[in-house]
Amino acid sequence: MQEATFLILTALAAGSQHGYGIIADVTRISDGRVRLRAGTLYAALDRLRLDGLISVDREEIVEHRLRRYYRLTSEGSRQLATEAARFRSNAAIAFARLGLPGEGTR
Amino acid sequence: MTDTTDLEREYRRWLRWYPQSFRREHEAELLGVLMAGAREGQRRPELMECLDLLRSALLMRLRPRVPRSNRSVVTAVKLLYLGAVVELAAAVTIVATTGDVRSAIVARNPGLTAGQWHAVVAGQLEPTVVAAGLAVGFWLWMAWSIGRGRRWTRIAFVPFFGLNTWSLLNGLAGGSAVYARPDLAIGMLLWLVELAAVTLIFPVKVAVSPSGARRITFGG
Repeated sequence: MQEATFLILTALAAGSQHGYGIIADVTRISDGRVRLRAGTLYAALDRLRLDGLISVDREEIVEHRLRRYYRLTSEGSRQLATEAARFRSNAAIAFARLGLPGEGTR
Repeated sequence: MTDTTDLEREYRRWLRWYPQSFRREHEAELLGVLMAGAREGQRRPELMECLDLLRSALLMRLRPRVPRSNRSVVTAVKLLYLGAVVELAAAVTIVATTGDVRSAIVARNPGLTAGQWHAVVAGQLEPTVVAAGLAVGFWLWMAWSIGRGRRWTRIAFVPFFGLNTWSLLNGLAGGSAVYARPDLAIGMLLWLVELAAVTLIFPVKVAVSPSGARRITFGG
């Protein structure tokens, strides 16, 4: 799973969000390291919907503009958890070999 | 207000690169995200934004629209793209080994005249290269079409596979291996790629009913 995909799924893990909300959350989660552009985000959302990892939660009209909210599906939650566990396991091994204490989770 | 209108118009222009089906469903939403991320007073999209929209739009047009969980079709699409690459390599090999072919013919026919050689080039080698070029396009079209979920494309693949099988067998029977071994090797490689792709896009399912009767169905 690519990092951008992982971060998008993480952004949706706490609840449904609209496109701009996901972009802002991904920037926050990654400490500003990953700044998704709109085109990249929607290409990723399209792929994630096709793979059944996210679905549309609801739509709103705010200031005459359409906002579509996305949420994780159960399969999306499962794959995110699997990937997070893999990262945690790899990170633990890396910290152990470096002789460093593991960092806490954000 | 004018700045916003100008910017929105510019964004809409870039969104035209996206497939119609995507624009129908997502244009208003994507436009909202682009406008929400715009700077105060911004009148034109930034270069990197334009490149991102263009890249994403092309990606949406070209990439398979098959869930990754459907591994047989995803692999078949990759094989079909591989087929296009091998077909192109075959065309290049034919052109590159023209000298070898001539040497082989001369070894078997020491009296080969320039006119006879031109006849071989015009009657056999050139049509083969043209056919290989067309086949590259066909491979690419099949990969794209099957990736878009157009199942009927699979039917078009059957005569293509049949024709290439016949061509390979005919080449073997006619002694093409004697003329240029690389041509035969690449032809066989291509045929194996086709065989694998056919197997993947026409999966055979065997269902056993409670009574023990077996029912065979084709298609994924």
